[in-house]
Amino acid sequence: MRTHTFLRSTLLLLAISSPALVRAQFQQPTAEELKMTADPKAPGAAAVYLYREETTDDSLHFQTYYERIKVLTEKGKEQATIRIPYERGEFKVNDIKGRTIHSDGTIIPLTTKPSDLMEVKTNARQVNQMVFTLPSVEVGSIIEYRLQIDYSDTIVSSPTWELQKPFLVHKAHYFFNPESSGGHYITNNRGQTLDRIMWITSGVPLETVAHDGRGRFTVDVADIPATPSDDWMPPLNTLKWRVEFYYTYARSGVDFWDSEGKRWAKDAEHFTNPSGQLKNAASQIVSPADSDEQKARKIYAAVMKLDNTRFTRRKSEAERKAGKLKAIKDAEDVWKQQSGSDDEITLLYVALARAAGLKVWPMQVTDRGRAIFDPRFLSVSQLDDYIAIVEIGGKEVYIDPGQRMCPFGTLNWKHALASGFRLTEKDATLATTPAGTYKNAVVQRIADLTIDPSGAVNGTVRFVMIGPDAVHWRQLTLENDQEEVKKQFNESMQDQFPDGVQADFDHFLGLDDYEVNLVGVIKVNGNIGTATGKHFFLPGLFFESRAKHPFVAQDERLTPVDVRYAKMEQDDVTYRLPPGFNVESAPQTANAAWQDHALLKIGSQSTADSVRVVRTLAYNFTLLDPKDYQNLHDFYQKVATADQQQLVLTRAPVAKGN
Amino acid sequence: MRNPLSSKSLPARLLVAALLVYACRTGHAGLFGKSQTPPQWGLDASKTHTPDYAKDAAAIILFDEYVETVDANGRAVEREREAIRILKSQGRGNTCEVNYDVDEKINYFRVWTIAADEKQYQAQDTDFTEEGDTSVPIMLSTRKYRIAHPPAVDVGATIICESEELMEPYLQEKVWSIQNGIPIAFQALEIDLPAGRAHTQSWHNSKPFQPVEVAPNHWRWELKDMPALTLRDIPSRPEWAAIAARMSVQWGDAAVEGNDNQWRAIGQWVTTLEADRPAPSPEIAAQVQTLIAGAPDFYAKLTPITDFIQKNIRYFVVLRGIGGLQANHAADIFHNKYGDCKDKTTLLISMLQVAGINAFYVPVDDRRGIVDPADPSLFGNHMITAIEIPPDVQDPRLMAIVKAKDGKRYLIFDPTDERTPVGNLRSALQDSYGTLAAGPASQIIALPVLAPDANGTERKGVFTISPDGTLTGSVDTSHSGPEGAELRTILKYSDEKERRESLETAVAHDLPGVVLNSFQFVQPAALDKPLELHYKLTEAQYAHQAGTFLLVRPRVVGTHVLPFDDKPRTVPIDLTATGRWHDSYDIALPPGYVVDETPDPVDADLDFASYHSAITAKDNHLH
Repeated sequence: MRTHTFLRSTLLLLAISSPALVRAQFQQPTAEELKMTADPKAPGAAAVYLYREETTDDSLHFQTYYERIKVLTEKGKEQATIRIPYERGEFKVNDIKGRTIHSDGTIIPLTTKPSDLMEVKTNARQVNQMVFTLPSVEVGSIIEYRLQIDYSDTIVSSPTWELQKPFLVHKAHYFFNPESSGGHYITNNRGQTLDRIMWITSGVPLETVAHDGRGRFTVDVADIPATPSDDWMPPLNTLKWRVEFYYTYARSGVDFWDSEGKRWAKDAEHFTNPSGQLKNAASQIVSPADSDEQKARKIYAAVMKLDNTRFTRRKSEAERKAGKLKAIKDAEDVWKQQSGSDDEITLLYVALARAAGLKVWPMQVTDRGRAIFDPRFLSVSQLDDYIAIVEIGGKEVYIDPGQRMCPFGTLNWKHALASGFRLTEKDATLATTPAGTYKNAVVQRIADLTIDPSGAVNGTVRFVMIGPDAVHWRQLTLENDQEEVKKQFNESMQDQFPDGVQADFDHFLGLDDYEVNLVGVIKVNGNIGTATGKHFFLPGLFFESRAKHPFVAQDERLTPVDVRYAKMEQDDVTYRLPPGFNVESAPQTANAAWQDHALLKIGSQSTADSVRVVRTLAYNFTLLDPKDYQNLHDFYQKVATADQQQLVLTRAPVAKGN
Repeated sequence: MRNPLSSKSLPARLLVAALLVYACRTGHAGLFGKSQTPPQWGLDASKTHTPDYAKDAAAIILFDEYVETVDANGRAVEREREAIRILKSQGRGNTCEVNYDVDEKINYFRVWTIAADEKQYQAQDTDFTEEGDTSVPIMLSTRKYRIAHPPAVDVGATIICESEELMEPYLQEKVWSIQNGIPIAFQALEIDLPAGRAHTQSWHNSKPFQPVEVAPNHWRWELKDMPALTLRDIPSRPEWAAIAARMSVQWGDAAVEGNDNQWRAIGQWVTTLEADRPAPSPEIAAQVQTLIAGAPDFYAKLTPITDFIQKNIRYFVVLRGIGGLQANHAADIFHNKYGDCKDKTTLLISMLQVAGINAFYVPVDDRRGIVDPADPSLFGNHMITAIEIPPDVQDPRLMAIVKAKDGKRYLIFDPTDERTPVGNLRSALQDSYGTLAAGPASQIIALPVLAPDANGTERKGVFTISPDGTLTGSVDTSHSGPEGAELRTILKYSDEKERRESLETAVAHDLPGVVLNSFQFVQPAALDKPLELHYKLTEAQYAHQAGTFLLVRPRVVGTHVLPFDDKPRTVPIDLTATGRWHDSYDIALPPGYVVDETPDPVDADLDFASYHSAITAKDNHLH
């Protein structure tokens, strides 16, 4: 029986990001294409794809690419350089042909030999780039090239067609001829026969994929918009239009996830088996009289102390050999070695908690900073990190033992609102972790500032952090010494202070204790405000005078918004006024709310010698649909305007003596 | 990962910069030794006590020794031995690497670790990776980097590296980077020369150290306790490499007595290397004749040619061995319509030659202060052009002029800079140095500093404030000289959406809730005409009610403040560019309001700069 392995298709995805086709001959440009100077379907675009073609013939083991690009601006000329990454050894890039056609019809063929450059090489594999530059490209030129990638007989390649490109695609044709045996000889690394083909689409209807009587697939599309590019976008995997094929053993998506879930559950159960040694360890950590919560917390604290190689480093083979350390196969090995990866430590927590008699389950989720889980995409490679779910008082508590410095009962934001497999009492199932609320992510900025008559300011600012900010700075201490963390904190906060104010970080409080609030203490001094003959102007909202508010400049949006996690900022600033100055005008009360989503409150109180300004900004969402953007935009415009208020002081009349 | 300021990576890259002078940018395979234990020199180095001055450093180089063994043809084999101690967890990124190109070969590269607990490890095949130089989209480079990822790199561990490399055959100098981002306790350089071959040395930002002749014509320099150079968080700082100490040793044609002679030899070497490159093809000649047909004078001949290069030759770098130094032939560059800095210079020299104008290669570095007249060397990363100006030509548009020692005047021009008009000069190249490669007349030249009027921005704004505090109005800006060129370049590499976003972000810095009603960039075809930007805006609640007063900030948009702080200064301040910036705003206030008071005028005149600001009020208008 022939044995096939899967193509590491990500490499080819990279390749597809540039290139061109195959045995198709170059097309004759039309008069319209030649004289085109701009594209009404892509106003202001640097270039557009006039035509793209990708084919995969898995029976004959080759792929072809063909592209025709119209250059519309100077920036578009950069498309003249083509880079095709490929895995050396398994693939070969052949038959590269290219030409440039000027707007007057003059044709300049590619005559320079392409360069085969090594990109990265390890002991196991080598990735190269085939690079060539088309000659004499001008604004108005049509760049045209084609090539073929051949791969070995031991590889099959079910294609992923990225329909969206950096520029609008006028017309594209895709073709896939699957492996001719119907998949009967294709096996995965578990020996399962992959005798079916499935496909998904994103951005285009499923019916876009045409399937002929000979088992071949084609997709023809037109006017595909450019890949979106906005600030605060969700991971691109949720947005990019594509068609993906799979060789699979499963009869449906449900069948796939059911089958993979069983396998995943078996592996997880094996790893987290509470062996006798772990039961003994657990009995040393907890006492029988402890409540479930006490047990859960004690075990959490115990595994948090282990060497978490996610934040230190994995030992090399030489070190493991010298230290006579076995490869880690289960939770007991992790405990014996007192060291493991973030995932291994999470699974150790599950094993120890089980050994202590708790109801606890592992869950493996997609890192939401990288991607958002898509169940239509039939691959367990979507799943990244393990978390744990422990039942306390009848409620499920989500915890993150692999994330050092993450407080008990919370998740690192990238694991919140994240989906993947979890174990239940019965079996494995697909589930989603809960989203955090703004109460879980708070930054308080408390300033006590003394102003002198010349406008000089000095005082102390305290940053109190709860949630993701605290986790970030604490985790940084695991890979850096405290002096370095202080420097980075100092650098990160500079733009939160008004022009003319110098802020010097002094010290942290609670940096080592992940269960308490993290406090950063900063000394500030400098000059603030503007003086006229009678008045003295200070920024009303001390921390907002240089703030760059998001969502203000852009008034329309077609892509969703991803703010990573809900958050609250609370500012409390006290200005101590110089003698002889009165408050002419303090920041006015502001209340802006976007119901159930966000709110801003500003208030101020004045006494004879001080002004206190309090500001709260909170948003309680993570992901927003584009239809909600106008509300978000309106809200932040109000925030931006309210934050520009001034504090106006006047010099009190000087009493004349007798 | 390599630390950007790692012990070997930075010096290694700087060295490459030196060797690839005209490549416009900078950049190992190995055989593994069988030995399992670290060499004795490494064991000895690891016993070095960490000095007190290194207490704040993330790592320290305990020992770093280069030995250059030069053969009869002047080609070197370089051996390096290095020991690095990790002092802090963030120092774990420090490691060793060796880079090589097509004309070089790594003979061996071995790495060991003496762990904090004194255990010894040798890096195996799996502990090395190799990376190409493929990250720059507009560059094709064949240089490769072999990088070690040794075992047991924890705080307290010492990494010991030993490598030997056959260097490229055409360079006969060693640039020794003696200062790093981390301190160096001990370092040495040896040059082992064939009998009778001379050498010279020169130093940049360091006092000279004299070598010891340890064997016949075998010289050794030793330095101890070199502090780290870190410029982190220093605003308006010079280039790191401009103030880092280094030393150059020449053993080729440039190993002659006297700085002037050394620079002449370096320039002569460049002249010879590129001698046949600018030869014009018939196609080039025909193109030039078309461009200059009927041109009445020098300027009229010059500008269409420089314009042609700037607008029609796409920037694309090819670095392959000697190709990192030597340009392609002018005919090929003209055909392909792409090339790097030395290619563009070559085609320019070629085209000017057809027009009867002499021009020469000028190797430089596009980072101010890197090329040092006291340190003759090929160290640099860029190539520009010196265009000889006939004695009878006196044209005020030709501002970037230098006078050579023989009295000849040269216009300094950077053909890679696609937007700065001929006659002017990109700010980063001003107040720097370059090598005029003019055969026997070669010399180091100081690049000019242009008068402020050659660069700057004129900004005018006209606004109206409505009774509810809303500001509406228009802003017209005019950007000339290098500043205008920089904006033109940004426009070249951006699309309409990116331009709008960029402008909105810039304006929102002063007007956070701004609505940009319209904007338009106007780019005259002639590069010596200013680039204009016109936009209209609305900002709600720009003016704030405070009691009976309406608060208005007269400086509506824009600032010209350079980054600064109040901390004691130990390194020079780089003001970036000379120039003149002028803002003028007229604001109509709502009916019924009169101006109560305005900020006082400010007049500051210093040796190097002046600043004047004044606000006047008439009726309900602010100016």
